[in-house]
Amino acid sequence: MIVRDWCMYCGECAGVCPRNLILLKETELVFDDSKCRECNICIEICPVNALEK
Amino acid sequence: MHWRNSDIMIETDVLVIGAGPSGSIAAKYAALGGANVILIDKKSEIGSPKRCAEGVSKEGLKFLGIEPQPIWAVKEIEGIRLVAPDGTDVWLNDEIKLPEAGYILERKVFDKHMAMDAGRAGAEIKIKTLAKSLKKEGDHYIVSCESMGKEFDIKTKILIGADGPESHIGRWAGLKTGTKPKDMESGVQFEMCNVKMKNHSVLEFYFGSVAPGGYVWIFPKGEDIANVGLGIIQTETDKTAYEYLVDFVESCPATKDAKIVELNVGGDPVGGLVKDLSSDNILIVGDAAGQVHPLTGGGIINGMTCGMFAGEVAAKSIKNGDYSQKQLSEYDKRCKYLLEDKMNKYLKVRDYLASLSDDELNSIAATFQDVEFEEISAVELVKKLVKISPKALLKLGKLF
Ligand SMILES: Cc1cc2nc3c(=O)[nH]c(=O)nc-3n(C[C@H](O)[C@H](O)[C@H](O)COP(=O)(O)OP(=O)(O)OC[C@H]3O[C@@H](n4cnc5c(N)ncnc54)[C@H](O)[C@@H]3O)c2cc1C
Ligand code: SF4
Ligand code: SF4
Repeated sequence: MIVRDWCMYCGECAGVCPRNLILLKETELVFDDSKCRECNICIEICPVNALEK
Repeated sequence: MHWRNSDIMIETDVLVIGAGPSGSIAAKYAALGGANVILIDKKSEIGSPKRCAEGVSKEGLKFLGIEPQPIWAVKEIEGIRLVAPDGTDVWLNDEIKLPEAGYILERKVFDKHMAMDAGRAGAEIKIKTLAKSLKKEGDHYIVSCESMGKEFDIKTKILIGADGPESHIGRWAGLKTGTKPKDMESGVQFEMCNVKMKNHSVLEFYFGSVAPGGYVWIFPKGEDIANVGLGIIQTETDKTAYEYLVDFVESCPATKDAKIVELNVGGDPVGGLVKDLSSDNILIVGDAAGQVHPLTGGGIINGMTCGMFAGEVAAKSIKNGDYSQKQLSEYDKRCKYLLEDKMNKYLKVRDYLASLSDDELNSIAATFQDVEFEEISAVELVKKLVKISPKALLKLGKLF
Protein backbone atom coordinates (compact mmCIF):
# COMPACT_ATOMS: atom_id res chain seq x y z
CA MET A 1 0.00 0.00 0.00
CA ILE A 2 1.26 3.47 -0.82
CA VAL A 3 0.59 6.13 1.81
CA ARG A 4 0.63 9.58 0.24
CA ASP A 5 2.32 12.37 2.11
CA TRP A 6 -0.92 14.17 2.96
CA CYS A 7 -2.08 11.30 5.19
CA MET A 8 -3.38 12.84 8.44
CA TYR A 9 -2.62 9.75 10.58
CA CYS A 10 -6.18 9.71 11.86
CA GLY A 11 -6.47 5.91 12.01
CA GLU A 12 -9.89 5.69 10.39
CA CYS A 13 -8.59 3.17 7.82
CA ALA A 14 -7.20 1.05 10.68
CA GLY A 15 -10.62 0.97 12.32
CA VAL A 16 -12.37 -0.44 9.26
CA CYS A 17 -9.81 -2.91 7.89
CA PRO A 18 -11.76 -6.17 8.29
CA ARG A 19 -8.51 -8.07 8.79
CA ASN A 20 -7.04 -5.61 11.30
CA LEU A 21 -3.85 -5.21 9.27
CA ILE A 22 -3.20 -1.48 9.66
CA LEU A 23 -1.25 -0.20 12.66
CA LEU A 24 -0.89 3.52 13.19
CA LYS A 25 2.22 4.64 15.01
CA GLU A 26 2.04 8.31 15.85
CA THR A 27 3.05 9.45 12.36
CA GLU A 28 3.53 6.25 10.42
CA LEU A 29 1.03 3.78 8.97
CA VAL A 30 2.25 0.19 8.95
CA PHE A 31 0.41 -2.32 6.71
CA ASP A 32 0.74 -6.07 7.06
CA ASP A 33 0.67 -6.43 3.27
CA SER A 34 1.24 -10.18 3.32
CA LYS A 35 -2.29 -10.77 4.66
CA CYS A 36 -4.07 -8.05 2.67
CA ARG A 37 -7.07 -9.27 0.68
CA GLU A 38 -7.12 -6.14 -1.48
CA CYS A 39 -10.73 -5.39 -0.55
CA ASN A 40 -9.95 -1.66 -0.93
CA ILE A 41 -12.09 -0.75 2.08
CA CYS A 42 -9.25 1.28 3.60
CA ILE A 43 -8.66 3.14 0.32
CA GLU A 44 -12.33 4.00 -0.10
CA ILE A 45 -12.93 5.18 3.48
CA CYS A 46 -10.01 7.61 3.71
CA PRO A 47 -11.50 11.11 4.11
CA VAL A 48 -8.58 12.69 2.23
CA ASN A 49 -7.86 9.98 -0.35
CA ALA A 50 -4.34 9.32 0.90
CA LEU A 51 -4.04 5.61 0.09
CA GLU A 52 -3.12 4.02 -3.20
CA LYS A 53 -2.53 0.39 -4.15
CA MET B 1 -0.13 -8.83 15.35
CA HIS B 2 3.18 -10.61 15.83
CA TRP B 3 4.05 -11.31 19.44
CA ARG B 4 7.51 -10.09 20.42
CA ASN B 5 9.07 -10.94 23.76
CA SER B 6 11.24 -8.41 25.49
CA ASP B 7 13.67 -8.62 28.39
CA ILE B 8 12.05 -5.84 30.39
CA MET B 9 8.80 -6.59 32.18
CA ILE B 10 6.75 -4.06 34.17
CA GLU B 11 3.91 -5.36 36.35
CA THR B 12 0.68 -3.59 37.23
CA ASP B 13 -2.92 -4.20 38.33
CA VAL B 14 -4.60 -2.22 35.57
CA LEU B 15 -3.18 -1.12 32.21
CA VAL B 16 -5.22 1.42 30.25
CA ILE B 17 -4.29 1.72 26.57
CA GLY B 18 -5.25 5.12 25.15
CA ALA B 19 -5.33 8.45 27.00
CA GLY B 20 -8.38 9.91 25.26
CA PRO B 21 -11.15 11.11 27.57
CA SER B 22 -12.52 7.56 28.06
CA GLY B 23 -9.16 6.01 28.95
CA SER B 24 -8.06 8.84 31.22
CA ILE B 25 -11.21 8.75 33.32
CA ALA B 26 -11.04 4.93 33.51
CA ALA B 27 -7.46 5.25 34.80
CA LYS B 28 -8.54 7.91 37.28
CA TYR B 29 -11.33 5.84 38.81
CA ALA B 30 -9.27 2.65 38.86
CA ALA B 31 -6.54 4.54 40.75
CA LEU B 32 -9.03 6.19 43.11
CA GLY B 33 -10.34 2.69 43.85
CA GLY B 34 -6.91 1.68 45.09
CA ALA B 35 -5.47 -0.18 42.07
CA ASN B 36 -1.98 0.28 40.64
CA VAL B 37 -2.61 1.83 37.24
CA ILE B 38 -0.55 2.55 34.15
CA LEU B 39 -2.04 4.73 31.38
CA ILE B 40 -0.23 4.68 28.04
CA ASP B 41 -0.72 6.61 24.80
CA LYS B 42 1.27 6.51 21.60
CA LYS B 43 0.96 10.24 21.12
CA SER B 44 3.67 12.67 22.12
CA GLU B 45 1.00 15.18 23.10
CA ILE B 46 -2.22 13.91 24.66
CA GLY B 47 -5.23 15.43 22.91
CA SER B 48 -3.39 16.48 19.77
CA PRO B 49 -4.23 16.44 16.93
CA LYS B 50 -7.91 16.78 17.76
CA ARG B 51 -10.42 14.64 15.93
CA CYS B 52 -13.58 16.26 17.17
CA ALA B 53 -16.09 19.09 16.82
CA GLU B 54 -15.70 19.58 20.58
CA GLY B 55 -19.34 19.83 21.67
CA VAL B 56 -20.39 18.43 25.08
CA SER B 57 -23.53 18.77 27.18
CA LYS B 58 -23.47 20.60 30.48
CA GLU B 59 -25.49 17.82 32.05
CA GLY B 60 -22.95 15.23 30.99
CA LEU B 61 -20.02 17.04 32.59
CA LYS B 62 -22.05 17.61 35.73
CA PHE B 63 -22.92 13.92 35.98
CA LEU B 64 -19.19 13.14 35.79
CA GLY B 65 -18.48 15.66 38.56
CA ILE B 66 -16.23 17.69 36.27
CA GLU B 67 -16.26 21.42 36.96
CA PRO B 68 -15.94 23.36 33.66
CA GLN B 69 -12.67 25.32 33.50
CA PRO B 70 -12.46 28.41 31.28
CA ILE B 71 -9.15 27.11 29.91
CA TRP B 72 -10.86 24.17 28.18
CA ALA B 73 -14.58 25.07 28.13
CA VAL B 74 -14.16 27.92 25.68
CA LYS B 75 -17.72 28.73 24.64
CA GLU B 76 -21.18 28.32 26.12
CA ILE B 77 -23.91 27.13 23.79
CA GLU B 78 -27.49 28.35 24.10
CA GLY B 79 -29.36 26.66 21.32
CA ILE B 80 -29.32 25.10 17.90
CA ARG B 81 -30.17 26.04 14.34
CA LEU B 82 -31.13 23.33 11.87
CA VAL B 83 -30.78 24.15 8.19
CA ALA B 84 -32.55 22.32 5.34
CA PRO B 85 -31.01 22.01 1.86
CA ASP B 86 -33.01 24.99 0.52
CA GLY B 87 -31.86 27.19 3.42
CA THR B 88 -35.09 27.00 5.45
CA ASP B 89 -33.96 27.09 9.03
CA VAL B 90 -35.40 25.97 12.34
CA TRP B 91 -34.20 27.81 15.43
CA LEU B 92 -34.34 26.23 18.84
CA ASN B 93 -32.99 28.73 21.24
CA ASP B 94 -34.82 31.29 23.33
CA GLU B 95 -37.15 30.49 26.18
CA ILE B 96 -37.26 26.74 25.88
CA LYS B 97 -35.74 24.22 28.22
CA LEU B 98 -32.19 23.34 27.41
CA PRO B 99 -31.25 19.87 28.64
CA GLU B 100 -28.71 19.60 25.86
CA ALA B 101 -27.18 23.02 26.32
CA GLY B 102 -23.47 22.74 26.49
CA TYR B 103 -19.94 23.87 25.94
CA ILE B 104 -17.50 23.85 23.10
CA LEU B 105 -14.24 22.47 24.40
CA GLU B 106 -10.65 23.02 23.47
CA ARG B 107 -10.04 19.26 23.23
CA LYS B 108 -6.26 19.59 23.13
CA VAL B 109 -6.42 21.18 26.57
CA PHE B 110 -9.37 19.16 27.90
CA ASP B 111 -7.85 15.75 27.09
CA LYS B 112 -4.58 16.73 28.72
CA HIS B 113 -6.40 17.90 31.83
CA MET B 114 -8.32 14.62 32.05
CA ALA B 115 -5.02 12.73 31.86
CA MET B 116 -3.63 15.01 34.58
CA ASP B 117 -6.62 14.11 36.77
CA ALA B 118 -5.70 10.44 36.29
CA GLY B 119 -2.09 11.22 37.16
CA ARG B 120 -3.10 13.13 40.28
CA ALA B 121 -5.29 10.20 41.34
CA GLY B 122 -2.15 8.05 41.26
CA ALA B 123 -2.00 6.55 37.77
CA GLU B 124 1.40 6.37 36.11
CA ILE B 125 1.34 7.94 32.65
CA LYS B 126 3.54 6.92 29.74
CA ILE B 127 3.23 9.02 26.60
CA LYS B 128 4.79 8.22 23.22
CA THR B 129 4.25 4.56 24.15
CA LEU B 130 2.63 2.29 21.58
CA ALA B 131 0.95 -1.02 22.41
CA LYS B 132 2.06 -3.30 19.57
CA SER B 133 0.66 -6.69 20.46
CA LEU B 134 -0.70 -8.64 23.39
CA LYS B 135 -1.14 -12.15 24.65
CA LYS B 136 -3.09 -13.79 27.43
CA GLU B 137 -1.08 -15.89 29.88
CA GLY B 138 -2.79 -17.49 32.87
CA ASP B 139 -4.71 -14.85 34.78
CA HIS B 140 -3.14 -11.80 33.14
CA TYR B 141 -2.32 -10.09 29.87
CA ILE B 142 1.15 -9.25 28.65
CA VAL B 143 1.28 -6.25 26.34
CA SER B 144 4.31 -5.60 24.19
CA CYS B 145 5.11 -1.88 24.01
CA GLU B 146 7.50 0.42 22.19
CA SER B 147 8.62 3.84 23.38
CA MET B 148 11.37 6.06 21.98
CA GLY B 149 13.14 3.12 20.37
CA LYS B 150 12.90 0.86 23.45
CA GLU B 151 10.79 -2.27 23.67
CA PHE B 152 9.31 -3.60 26.89
CA ASP B 153 6.38 -5.68 28.14
CA ILE B 154 3.69 -4.75 30.63
CA LYS B 155 2.12 -7.57 32.59
CA THR B 156 -1.34 -6.61 33.84
CA LYS B 157 -4.17 -8.28 35.72
CA ILE B 158 -6.76 -6.17 33.94
CA LEU B 159 -6.42 -4.54 30.53
CA ILE B 160 -8.64 -1.62 29.56
CA GLY B 161 -8.77 -1.02 25.79
CA ALA B 162 -9.49 2.69 25.25
CA ASP B 163 -7.75 2.95 21.90
CA GLY B 164 -10.45 4.89 20.05
CA PRO B 165 -11.76 4.13 16.55
CA GLU B 166 -8.72 2.01 15.67
CA SER B 167 -9.93 -0.49 18.28
CA HIS B 168 -7.08 -2.97 17.87
CA ILE B 169 -6.92 -3.97 21.52
CA GLY B 170 -10.39 -5.52 21.64
CA ARG B 171 -9.85 -7.33 18.35
CA TRP B 172 -6.46 -8.67 19.41
CA ALA B 173 -8.16 -10.03 22.54
CA GLY B 174 -10.96 -11.69 20.55
CA LEU B 175 -13.73 -9.13 21.16
CA LYS B 176 -15.76 -7.89 18.21
CA THR B 177 -14.51 -4.30 18.01
CA GLY B 178 -13.66 -2.67 14.69
CA THR B 179 -16.22 -0.86 12.54
CA LYS B 180 -18.00 -1.72 9.31
CA PRO B 181 -17.55 0.96 6.64
CA LYS B 182 -21.32 1.62 6.59
CA ASP B 183 -21.15 2.44 10.32
CA MET B 184 -18.09 4.71 10.21
CA GLU B 185 -18.76 8.44 9.87
CA SER B 186 -15.87 9.77 7.85
CA GLY B 187 -15.14 13.17 9.33
CA VAL B 188 -13.29 16.25 8.09
CA GLN B 189 -13.24 19.63 9.75
CA PHE B 190 -11.69 23.06 9.38
CA GLU B 191 -11.20 25.33 12.33
CA MET B 192 -11.85 28.76 10.84
CA CYS B 193 -11.90 32.42 11.73
CA ASN B 194 -13.90 35.17 10.07
CA VAL B 195 -16.96 32.92 10.24
CA LYS B 196 -20.17 34.95 9.97
CA MET B 197 -22.82 33.10 11.95
CA LYS B 198 -26.28 34.56 12.50
CA ASN B 199 -25.85 33.87 16.22
CA HIS B 200 -22.48 32.79 17.54
CA SER B 201 -23.95 31.05 20.59
CA VAL B 202 -25.87 28.36 18.72
CA LEU B 203 -24.75 25.15 17.07
CA GLU B 204 -25.63 24.93 13.38
CA PHE B 205 -26.49 21.69 11.58
CA TYR B 206 -26.98 21.37 7.81
CA PHE B 207 -28.69 18.29 6.39
CA GLY B 208 -29.18 16.60 3.04
CA SER B 209 -26.95 16.04 0.04
CA VAL B 210 -24.30 18.38 1.51
CA ALA B 211 -23.26 15.35 3.61
CA PRO B 212 -24.75 11.97 2.61
CA GLY B 213 -25.35 9.75 5.64
CA GLY B 214 -24.33 12.51 8.05
CA TYR B 215 -24.54 16.28 8.42
CA VAL B 216 -22.47 19.46 8.32
CA TRP B 217 -21.85 21.27 11.58
CA ILE B 218 -20.72 24.76 12.48
CA PHE B 219 -19.79 24.82 16.16
CA PRO B 220 -18.75 28.28 17.36
CA LYS B 221 -15.63 28.62 19.51
CA GLY B 222 -15.63 32.40 19.72
CA GLU B 223 -17.26 35.40 18.08
CA ASP B 224 -15.91 34.65 14.62
CA ILE B 225 -14.14 31.34 15.26
CA ALA B 226 -15.80 27.99 14.60
CA ASN B 227 -15.27 24.31 13.89
CA VAL B 228 -16.79 23.76 10.46
CA GLY B 229 -16.96 20.12 9.54
CA LEU B 230 -18.94 17.19 8.29
CA GLY B 231 -19.32 13.47 8.57
CA ILE B 232 -20.42 11.27 5.69
CA ILE B 233 -20.90 7.57 5.22
CA GLN B 234 -18.29 6.91 2.58
CA THR B 235 -20.13 3.91 1.12
CA GLU B 236 -22.94 6.30 0.03
CA THR B 237 -20.76 8.30 -2.37
CA ASP B 238 -17.58 8.38 -4.48
CA LYS B 239 -16.60 11.91 -3.43
CA THR B 240 -14.29 12.17 -0.40
CA ALA B 241 -15.37 13.82 2.83
CA TYR B 242 -12.71 16.46 2.20
CA GLU B 243 -14.20 17.35 -1.20
CA TYR B 244 -17.66 17.69 0.36
CA LEU B 245 -16.32 20.07 2.98
CA VAL B 246 -14.46 22.24 0.48
CA ASP B 247 -17.67 22.53 -1.59
CA PHE B 248 -19.75 23.37 1.46
CA VAL B 249 -17.39 26.01 2.80
CA GLU B 250 -17.27 27.76 -0.58
CA SER B 251 -21.04 27.94 -0.90
CA CYS B 252 -22.26 28.57 2.66
CA PRO B 253 -22.80 32.30 3.42
CA ALA B 254 -21.36 31.87 6.92
CA THR B 255 -18.06 30.40 5.71
CA LYS B 256 -17.36 31.61 2.21
CA ASP B 257 -15.09 34.41 3.47
CA ALA B 258 -13.75 32.47 6.43
CA LYS B 259 -10.07 31.49 6.79
CA ILE B 260 -8.84 28.02 7.62
CA VAL B 261 -6.34 27.67 10.47
CA GLU B 262 -6.56 23.94 11.12
CA LEU B 263 -7.54 20.72 9.33
CA ASN B 264 -8.89 17.79 11.35
CA VAL B 265 -9.68 14.32 10.06
CA GLY B 266 -11.05 11.21 11.68
CA GLY B 267 -13.54 8.37 11.83
CA ASP B 268 -16.48 8.22 14.22
CA PRO B 269 -17.99 4.76 14.83
CA VAL B 270 -21.78 5.22 14.90
CA GLY B 271 -22.96 1.61 14.56
CA GLY B 272 -23.88 1.19 18.22
CA LEU B 273 -22.46 -0.69 21.18
CA VAL B 274 -20.05 -3.57 20.59
CA LYS B 275 -21.79 -6.78 21.71
CA ASP B 276 -19.44 -7.85 24.50
CA LEU B 277 -17.67 -5.07 26.39
CA SER B 278 -15.59 -7.38 28.56
CA SER B 279 -14.01 -10.77 28.72
CA ASP B 280 -11.63 -12.40 31.20
CA ASN B 281 -9.05 -9.77 32.27
CA ILE B 282 -10.18 -7.15 29.73
CA LEU B 283 -12.66 -4.28 29.33
CA ILE B 284 -13.15 -1.99 26.33
CA VAL B 285 -14.35 1.62 26.58
CA GLY B 286 -15.16 4.68 24.49
CA ASP B 287 -15.07 4.73 20.69
CA ALA B 288 -13.35 1.36 20.76
CA ALA B 289 -16.54 -0.04 22.32
CA GLY B 290 -18.95 1.87 20.06
CA GLN B 291 -20.12 4.16 22.87
CA VAL B 292 -21.01 6.93 20.41
CA HIS B 293 -24.46 8.51 19.90
CA PRO B 294 -25.55 7.02 16.55
CA LEU B 295 -27.36 10.17 15.49
CA THR B 296 -25.13 13.03 16.62
CA GLY B 297 -21.80 11.20 16.60
CA GLY B 298 -21.10 12.57 20.08
CA GLY B 299 -18.89 10.21 22.03
CA ILE B 300 -17.12 12.22 24.72
CA ILE B 301 -19.72 12.05 27.49
CA ASN B 302 -20.86 8.48 26.78
CA GLY B 303 -17.27 7.27 26.56
CA MET B 304 -16.31 9.05 29.76
CA THR B 305 -19.33 7.80 31.68
CA CYS B 306 -18.58 4.22 30.65
CA GLY B 307 -14.88 4.89 31.30
CA MET B 308 -15.77 5.84 34.86
CA PHE B 309 -17.76 2.58 35.21
CA ALA B 310 -14.80 0.63 33.79
CA GLY B 311 -12.39 2.18 36.30
CA GLU B 312 -14.70 1.46 39.21
CA VAL B 313 -15.35 -2.14 38.17
CA ALA B 314 -11.63 -2.75 37.53
CA ALA B 315 -10.69 -1.43 40.97
CA LYS B 316 -13.35 -3.58 42.63
CA SER B 317 -12.12 -6.67 40.76
CA ILE B 318 -8.55 -6.00 41.87
CA LYS B 319 -9.75 -5.73 45.48
CA ASN B 320 -11.62 -9.02 45.17
CA GLY B 321 -8.72 -10.70 43.39
CA ASP B 322 -11.14 -11.85 40.67
CA TYR B 323 -10.60 -10.67 37.08
CA SER B 324 -12.95 -13.12 35.40
CA GLN B 325 -15.54 -12.16 32.82
CA LYS B 326 -18.18 -12.97 35.42
CA GLN B 327 -16.82 -10.32 37.79
CA LEU B 328 -16.17 -7.79 35.02
CA SER B 329 -19.61 -8.24 33.45
CA GLU B 330 -20.92 -5.70 35.96
CA TYR B 331 -19.35 -3.20 33.57
CA ASP B 332 -21.34 -4.55 30.58
CA LYS B 333 -24.53 -4.35 32.64
CA ARG B 334 -23.98 -0.75 33.68
CA CYS B 335 -23.10 0.41 30.16
CA LYS B 336 -26.01 -1.41 28.58
CA TYR B 337 -28.45 -0.08 31.17
CA LEU B 338 -27.27 3.44 30.39
CA LEU B 339 -27.00 3.22 26.61
CA GLU B 340 -28.50 0.20 24.87
CA ASP B 341 -32.19 1.21 24.49
CA LYS B 342 -31.33 4.79 23.66
CA MET B 343 -28.79 3.74 21.04
CA ASN B 344 -31.06 1.22 19.37
CA LYS B 345 -33.70 3.95 18.98
CA TYR B 346 -31.27 6.44 17.52
CA LEU B 347 -29.84 3.87 15.11
CA LYS B 348 -33.36 3.73 13.63
CA VAL B 349 -33.57 7.53 13.50
CA ARG B 350 -30.22 7.64 11.73
CA ASP B 351 -31.43 5.20 9.06
CA TYR B 352 -34.62 7.21 8.68
CA LEU B 353 -32.80 10.53 8.29
CA ALA B 354 -30.41 9.03 5.75
CA SER B 355 -33.41 7.89 3.70
CA LEU B 356 -34.80 11.42 3.27
CA SER B 357 -34.35 13.33 0.03
CA ASP B 358 -33.49 17.03 -0.04
CA ASP B 359 -37.13 17.77 -0.97
CA GLU B 360 -38.44 15.81 2.00
CA LEU B 361 -36.05 17.62 4.33
CA ASN B 362 -37.14 21.00 2.93
CA SER B 363 -40.78 20.23 3.52
CA ILE B 364 -40.10 19.01 7.07
CA ALA B 365 -38.23 22.27 7.79
CA ALA B 366 -41.12 24.25 6.35
CA THR B 367 -43.64 22.46 8.58
CA PHE B 368 -41.38 22.88 11.61
CA GLN B 369 -41.77 26.68 11.26
CA ASP B 370 -45.11 26.51 13.07
CA VAL B 371 -44.16 23.94 15.69
CA GLU B 372 -43.60 24.98 19.30
CA PHE B 373 -40.70 23.10 20.82
CA GLU B 374 -40.80 22.52 24.54
CA GLU B 375 -37.14 21.73 24.92
CA ILE B 376 -34.00 21.43 22.85
CA SER B 377 -33.17 17.80 22.60
CA ALA B 378 -32.93 15.10 19.98
CA VAL B 379 -35.86 13.28 21.61
CA GLU B 380 -38.08 16.35 21.41
CA LEU B 381 -37.17 16.84 17.73
CA VAL B 382 -38.01 13.28 16.81
CA LYS B 383 -41.27 13.44 18.79
CA LYS B 384 -42.33 16.51 16.83
CA LEU B 385 -41.15 14.93 13.58
CA VAL B 386 -43.38 11.93 14.19
CA LYS B 387 -46.32 14.33 14.65
CA ILE B 388 -45.85 16.13 11.34
CA SER B 389 -44.53 13.45 9.00
CA PRO B 390 -46.50 10.29 8.12
CA LYS B 391 -43.28 8.62 6.93
CA ALA B 392 -41.61 9.34 10.28
CA LEU B 393 -44.68 8.11 12.14
CA LEU B 394 -44.55 4.86 10.21
CA LYS B 395 -40.85 4.27 10.86
CA LEU B 396 -40.36 5.76 14.30
CA GLY B 397 -43.84 6.18 15.82
CA LYS B 398 -43.58 3.15 18.07
CA LEU B 399 -40.22 4.21 19.46
CA PHE B 400 -40.88 7.78 20.51
C1 LIG C 1 -14.81 14.72 13.13
C2 LIG C 1 -15.32 14.30 14.46
C3 LIG C 1 -16.10 15.17 15.22
C4 LIG C 1 -16.58 14.77 16.49
N1 LIG C 1 -17.30 15.67 17.23
C5 LIG C 1 -17.71 15.33 18.48
C6 LIG C 1 -18.40 16.27 19.30
O1 LIG C 1 -18.64 17.43 18.93
N2 LIG C 1 -18.80 15.88 20.54
C7 LIG C 1 -18.54 14.62 21.01
O2 LIG C 1 -18.95 14.31 22.14
N3 LIG C 1 -17.86 13.73 20.27
C8 LIG C 1 -17.43 14.04 19.01
N4 LIG C 1 -16.73 13.14 18.26
C9 LIG C 1 -16.41 11.83 18.85
C10 LIG C 1 -15.30 11.97 19.87
O3 LIG C 1 -14.19 12.62 19.32
C11 LIG C 1 -14.90 10.57 20.37
O4 LIG C 1 -16.06 9.87 20.75
C12 LIG C 1 -13.94 10.63 21.55
O5 LIG C 1 -12.72 11.20 21.23
C13 LIG C 1 -13.72 9.21 22.05
O6 LIG C 1 -12.80 9.20 23.09
P1 LIG C 1 -11.93 7.90 23.38
O7 LIG C 1 -11.20 8.20 24.64
O8 LIG C 1 -12.80 6.70 23.33
O9 LIG C 1 -10.95 7.76 22.14
P2 LIG C 1 -9.87 8.77 21.54
O10 LIG C 1 -10.15 10.15 21.94
O11 LIG C 1 -9.81 8.45 20.09
O12 LIG C 1 -8.52 8.32 22.23
C14 LIG C 1 -7.88 7.11 21.92
C15 LIG C 1 -6.43 7.25 22.29
O13 LIG C 1 -5.79 5.98 22.19
C16 LIG C 1 -4.50 6.14 21.69
N5 LIG C 1 -4.10 4.86 21.08
C17 LIG C 1 -4.72 4.20 20.08
N6 LIG C 1 -4.08 3.04 19.81
C18 LIG C 1 -3.03 2.97 20.68
C19 LIG C 1 -2.01 2.00 20.89
N7 LIG C 1 -1.95 0.87 20.15
N8 LIG C 1 -1.08 2.24 21.85
C20 LIG C 1 -1.13 3.39 22.58
N9 LIG C 1 -2.09 4.33 22.43
C21 LIG C 1 -3.03 4.12 21.48
C22 LIG C 1 -4.65 7.26 20.67
O14 LIG C 1 -3.41 7.91 20.44
C23 LIG C 1 -5.66 8.18 21.36
O15 LIG C 1 -5.04 9.18 22.12
C24 LIG C 1 -16.25 13.49 16.99
C25 LIG C 1 -15.47 12.62 16.21
C26 LIG C 1 -15.00 13.01 14.97
C27 LIG C 1 -14.14 12.07 14.19
S1 SF4 D 1 -7.77 7.17 6.85
FE1 SF4 D 1 -6.46 8.24 5.38
S2 SF4 D 1 -5.69 10.03 6.50
FE2 SF4 D 1 -6.49 8.62 8.02
S3 SF4 D 1 -4.70 7.40 8.64
FE3 SF4 D 1 -5.73 6.24 7.00
S4 SF4 D 1 -4.68 6.89 5.13
FE4 SF4 D 1 -4.15 8.40 6.70
S1 SF4 E 1 -7.24 -3.50 1.29
FE1 SF4 E 1 -8.69 -4.40 2.76
S2 SF4 E 1 -7.53 -6.05 3.79
FE2 SF4 E 1 -6.03 -4.77 2.71
S3 SF4 E 1 -5.33 -3.33 4.29
FE3 SF4 E 1 -7.01 -2.33 3.16
S4 SF4 E 1 -8.86 -2.81 4.32
FE4 SF4 E 1 -7.26 -4.20 5.04
